[in-house]
Amino acid sequence: MAAKPSLKIKGKGKGTKVSSSSTSSSKYELVKEWTNWSLKKAKVATHYGFIPLIIVVGMNSDPKPHLFQLLSPV
Amino acid sequence: MADLFPPLATAQVDAKTKVDEKVDYSNLPCPVPYDEVHREAYMSLKAENFEGFRFDFSKGLNQKFSLSHSVMMGPTEVPSQSPDTTIKIPVAHYEFGANYFDPKLMLVGRVMTDGRLNARLKADLSDKLILKANAQLTGEPHMSHSVFNFDYMGKDYRAQLQLGNNALVGATYIQSVTPRLSLGGEVFWAGVPRKSGLGYAARYETDQMVASAQVASTGNVVMNYVQKISEKVSLATDFVYNYFSRDVVASVGYDYILRQSRIRGKVDSNGVTSALLEERLSMGLNFLLSAEIDHKKKDYKFGFGLTVG
Repeated sequence: MAAKPSLKIKGKGKGTKVSSSSTSSSKYELVKEWTNWSLKKAKVATHYGFIPLIIVVGMNSDPKPHLFQLLSPV
Repeated sequence: MADLFPPLATAQVDAKTKVDEKVDYSNLPCPVPYDEVHREAYMSLKAENFEGFRFDFSKGLNQKFSLSHSVMMGPTEVPSQSPDTTIKIPVAHYEFGANYFDPKLMLVGRVMTDGRLNARLKADLSDKLILKANAQLTGEPHMSHSVFNFDYMGKDYRAQLQLGNNALVGATYIQSVTPRLSLGGEVFWAGVPRKSGLGYAARYETDQMVASAQVASTGNVVMNYVQKISEKVSLATDFVYNYFSRDVVASVGYDYILRQSRIRGKVDSNGVTSALLEERLSMGLNFLLSAEIDHKKKDYKFGFGLTVG
């Protein structure tokens, strides 16, 4: 295992490549990691997608506005 | 920071018809949310003064859906080492926004030319449970904030649970004790600076006045009083004291709501005088003038702007 670099070094400085640790602590680390990963992806998705989401929701509401009204400055 | 100015004819204090009759303690009104305990006082005392030029154009496509374009040009303050000097850097930016207002769902998003997104969401999950979310997202890592609030509105109380990024958890509760008095408390725990805090608030209101006070374990004590002199005029005064850092600020402010304009101003014990005028030039066209003079620091800020739509 010495040749494999630890992939899981985060700011906390905990390497999780210890294979002999108890399953509960490594599960906890995995859960923490997955939540961090999903929060990062959610943040990127919100950052790019929030305004388009509002536009899609708004363009589909009653009475339906035209695409021309969205783009014209008047 | 608010892009949508409140309408000119907002009434200051809700008209409550309280007569001297026997109080029915089982039928008390629902109190204001804990964050809005000082709402009336801050309408005069914390007006949105700005510096420079701003232009807001708001286009409605629909009853519920609208787009907004804002241009702001002016100096913005940069934190400096010595507290006496303020460093200002001129910036100009354009902000595009989209709003969707529904009785059950409200979505507001604003994005700037440098990529910063300011997003707000308010959804009625049920009759009494409201979810509110507020986020400021930037491209830089670790500079984004987001807060989720779950508000529950009971018959004569409100409870709120707040979750934020960086492990921020908070809860507030406010209860009507008599038809005019409501008391509340809050507790929060912030993960990043490992701090927890506790606070209490009280609010007493009648048709003509609102008095509120708040104490927090961060050391802040805030007390304010608003008197509604007439339909058009109200006066407010505020006293903020921090018992750890021994900072004291007292201020007096006014709010005149006239037919075509609204002018708010305040004078401070720090030597700051400020005023904000919103004048309705014609239907949908508002002209803004803002001034803030800090005599102690010799910092003068003047701004003007136009809001269309």
